[in-house]
Amino acid sequence: MKTIIEKLNSKYNLQEIVYQRDNLVFAAINKENAIDAVTYLRDYEGFSHFVLMSCVDWIEDGKFQLLYLLNNPTLKSDLGLKVYIDRNNPEMVSAHHLWKQIWTYQRELKEAFGINFPGSPRVDENFVVEGWTDIPHMRRDFDTHEYAQKTYFPRGDRKTNDPAEYMRKKLYPNQPITAKQRKDDK
Amino acid sequence: MNLTDILTPFTAWAGVFKEPVTIKDPLNREAAPRYRGFHHNDVAVCIGCGSCEAICENQAIDLVPVEGIATKDGDSGLRPSIDYGRCCWCALCVDICTTDSLRLTNAYTWVDTDGDNFIFTPGVDAKPWDEKQEGWRKPQNGYEFYAKERQHMSELHAEHRIDSFIEFVKGYSKEQAQKEADRCVSCGICTATCPAHMGIPQYIKAIRNDDMEEGMRVLYETNPLPEICGRICTHKCEDVCSVGHSGDPLSIRWLKRYIADQIPSDTTKYKEILGTSNIDKNSKKVAIVGSGPSGLSAAHYLALLGYSVTIFESLPEAGGMMRYGIPEYRLPYDQIDKDINYILSLGVEIKYNVKVGKDITLEQLHNDFDAVFAGTGLHLGRSTRVPGSDNKHVYQSVDLLRDIVLGKEIPTEKRIVVIGGGNVAMDITRSMARLQMKKYGQVNIITTSLEDEETMPADREEVVEAREEGCTIIPGFGPQEIMIQDGKVTGLRVWKCLSIFDENRAFNPKFDQNDEQIFEGDMVIESIGQGMDLSYLSEETKSKIEFNNRGRVVTNADFQVQGLPWLFMGGDIIQGPDVIHGIANGHIVAQAIDKMLFEK
Amino acid sequence: MINKFLGFKPDEKLLPSQTVTTDTVIDLSSHKYQKIWLGPNHPGVTGNMSVELTVQGNTIMKAKTHVGYLHRGFEKLIERRLFVQGFPTSIRMCVAEPDTNEYLIARSTEELSGYADAVPEYANWLRMLSLEMARLQGLLRGVPGQGGTFALGIGVQWGVYLRDLILDRFEELTGARVYHMYIIPGGVRGNLPEGFKKRMEENLVEIDEFIIRIKKLMFHNSVFKTRAVGLGIITPDMVDKYGIVGTNARACGVKRDVRKDNPYLYYDKLDFDPPTATEGDVYARTWVRWQELIQTVDLIRQIMDKMPETGDIRAKMPNVLNWKIAKGETYVRLESGRGEYGMYYVTDGSDKPRRINLRGPSYNHAIALFEDMLVGADVADVHAIMVSVQSCPPEIER
Repeated sequence: MKTIIEKLNSKYNLQEIVYQRDNLVFAAINKENAIDAVTYLRDYEGFSHFVLMSCVDWIEDGKFQLLYLLNNPTLKSDLGLKVYIDRNNPEMVSAHHLWKQIWTYQRELKEAFGINFPGSPRVDENFVVEGWTDIPHMRRDFDTHEYAQKTYFPRGDRKTNDPAEYMRKKLYPNQPITAKQRKDDK
Repeated sequence: MNLTDILTPFTAWAGVFKEPVTIKDPLNREAAPRYRGFHHNDVAVCIGCGSCEAICENQAIDLVPVEGIATKDGDSGLRPSIDYGRCCWCALCVDICTTDSLRLTNAYTWVDTDGDNFIFTPGVDAKPWDEKQEGWRKPQNGYEFYAKERQHMSELHAEHRIDSFIEFVKGYSKEQAQKEADRCVSCGICTATCPAHMGIPQYIKAIRNDDMEEGMRVLYETNPLPEICGRICTHKCEDVCSVGHSGDPLSIRWLKRYIADQIPSDTTKYKEILGTSNIDKNSKKVAIVGSGPSGLSAAHYLALLGYSVTIFESLPEAGGMMRYGIPEYRLPYDQIDKDINYILSLGVEIKYNVKVGKDITLEQLHNDFDAVFAGTGLHLGRSTRVPGSDNKHVYQSVDLLRDIVLGKEIPTEKRIVVIGGGNVAMDITRSMARLQMKKYGQVNIITTSLEDEETMPADREEVVEAREEGCTIIPGFGPQEIMIQDGKVTGLRVWKCLSIFDENRAFNPKFDQNDEQIFEGDMVIESIGQGMDLSYLSEETKSKIEFNNRGRVVTNADFQVQGLPWLFMGGDIIQGPDVIHGIANGHIVAQAIDKMLFEK
Repeated sequence: MINKFLGFKPDEKLLPSQTVTTDTVIDLSSHKYQKIWLGPNHPGVTGNMSVELTVQGNTIMKAKTHVGYLHRGFEKLIERRLFVQGFPTSIRMCVAEPDTNEYLIARSTEELSGYADAVPEYANWLRMLSLEMARLQGLLRGVPGQGGTFALGIGVQWGVYLRDLILDRFEELTGARVYHMYIIPGGVRGNLPEGFKKRMEENLVEIDEFIIRIKKLMFHNSVFKTRAVGLGIITPDMVDKYGIVGTNARACGVKRDVRKDNPYLYYDKLDFDPPTATEGDVYARTWVRWQELIQTVDLIRQIMDKMPETGDIRAKMPNVLNWKIAKGETYVRLESGRGEYGMYYVTDGSDKPRRINLRGPSYNHAIALFEDMLVGADVADVHAIMVSVQSCPPEIER
């Protein structure tokens, strides 16, 4: 596994190489080289099993992180190639020609994160949320709670009490002793 | 295709002759003993800490007030109510329950025509399954959601601490403090019990986040003496800690000390952290009598509000009982100075060696200042008044403790008997033990109290530590006579104490005269309580104010003296001896003075 | 060629072109084709999913899988929950074998927080037991379910009864029948109840007998053979191309099993060899699963035999309410009844996961593979093929 990573590193200049386990390595790669490297790994290094394509929203960095997770059935090892793409202009080269299932992933990522994969079959079709009008639903800034409150019918008659605050009101209401009663953001 | 393949499937017809496997009465099938069905809560045990609500992943739990359950120390008076429209029966609420009061029964059928009935408060709203004992309870076999044992506090061993007055509790390391802070469930039950109502879960959270500056800000919101309180507070919060219901309570006091210890003793740095570098001053002046915890606390919060504060202290250094009553091995002087120096840096002035009533009158202060606060404390020793107690070899613990700090010569005899079972008795016992060790190389001291082992008012750890240091503690005896021979003390004659209070709960001890013992000693120290010295109140002033049946001045909730609106009194003289009460009083007084002067 | 349904050799010129491929151009306006929808009702033992078919006569020219009927956004919901709160939600991502999700969440968090080796031995054995029990109850429904797609309902009823017996065991071990919520970060939530092994053994004996009966019912059955043999063939070269895993891959001779390739828990201490076949058709897949049924029963016996009598069930972990995990990511997998089942887990230093992504085998099997397999197939065989690839929509949509 180490030699493969070294070879790949000299070829494509990897960053953030992390040996999570003996048989699982994560590494970041340039957007331009990513599909090249994936093809190389498939055709020359025996990473023939495509495990997963995923995306993480690093909203604070303004980036989406795509993940191509490949498995080498002979070495029984996995390699996760990470690609950072601009969150404001999310677009990535399609890899649907490499494995038959990839267009499904790309279709899902288009819907869930709004990442475009030009040329990927059926990429604009709905995947799981038909008629969705809100921002892509897996982005970090999509608030599920707020959406649920807005869309469904929350019970209005439930009310809870914070023990400390309730005890203050009951036991020492006339001693407002902190200037601002801090709320623990638990 | 062959004949076998056509015929073999017909073997399935054999099933026709078998007994059907269907359950005959499916409605009354009893679930497994561990089944997770509907909730039941033992509301008498539950304290309404809300951990169940915090861990519920579906927000199915609300804490609601329940009729007949009062809000009191250690019990919020709230109980969880469950919305079965959201509950997923994961039972995480049961697994985290601090009191083990919540459980799931194995009842799983409930038919109702009204959907709203499926919100109910288990244990309060009667349900058919309330008596069922089967069902999900917190698993055993090492299954815990938070550590039950507190982090061990390292201390100097008894033989290394008995010959000096250096601090023997070493304080938590960062790792220990974070592990201890991790045990907190952030319920906030402790806040109400703390006399100063400190933001305990908040500063513990700051420890978890390793943000000491935030921790300091939380501490100073309600307590300007964190180094001192972090060492000697009576930690009533720990008595009600919800984690303590099935495990050790959190070491809240040591965690507070940990935060304060992490900030270097530098007033500029303090001001930077607490944002007090620039305070807008106003023109009002406040005089404070006594620089004990209540006086310092009032001075601190008044200074923050912009008042010019002057403290009048009769002794050469500030701190009151914290310096002159509590031995150095529990509270080192440099830590007292650390807290006080910051308060002084806010512009508070202290006039040392000025005794109000003698060097300056209270009325004078009234003329010179806009308001006066007296937190003069309990500095007079009380005598047992048994025969012989007027001998000159019979001492008062408060006097001796003060003299130790003042550096005076302390009469240390080979054999000492102490009367008293409170923390002050333990302080004098352990201080004298150290002096004996220095002078004679051995400890020979007997401490006896009226109360028995269980009801001794002293903190448990004080008693244990005193014994570790070689002191003999014999609770449950009442002094009858201090035996004198040729003008010298030879010992203390005691009777076994049977009861302390009579049926009217009045102090009226009963003794077993047949069980008499004599504790031999060359000196006797009385430590049965302290009284207040109100001699600074002139007769005219006294006539204007009211005293209650215990001889204490009557004040309103803001510690404003009835009849003299310019005078506030607080701390030990009103509340009884306790540092954290004093601090709380000082804070309230500061806000009350502010309110009074600016609403006028 | 004699048409197996017509029973005679039809005139080739009257029939549509038999060489249908995924590239065949379909012109709906030619009126040679029509579209029919299959679903989204519950098509048997899988879940709500619909297939949009373009057919010419009985032959499917084109198929599109439509999912979304079970989407509840679990991955997103778990991002809003504490680490300990994730597992009760995660189990809904796969109804057939919910325990697999619990294990993946627990294992990911343990690995990322450095507690992977702290889990007590007894707890790991119990985890393995519950995972194999989950596989067993899945197979008890799945193997006869394949017969069900050919209207062989009796086997399904037998299977459902026996599955219920396993659910009884789950009930006493975990406190619930279907959604067990048993494997928790750090360990498990209950020890083995008194007398559990004995009662389990009684159930296993009944299942042993059932295994023989189901063999007679399904695999010595001319109808089943006629319909299943040669249907929905997966060839070995398709395995990597489509990301096929589990029994689907093993039934065409590609022997991949996470329990053997990347052993987790104590699978390396158990004695087993994943069954394989070479034909790769519906019959072979069902046959492999039937053999796996035997093997799972054997594995449960081995586990009950080898596990310690008692022990701790959970590691000493940080307070669950305050538990934070440093930034990191991992991918953890296990072998579910349907094949490689994995989870990509990302943490960012807070007390909640940054992202979790479930990799279910159905994601590939029920969309890319299934759509291509249906081309050229008969409309009557859609269910059979769907069940034979073990599609499970909840794990696609999550």
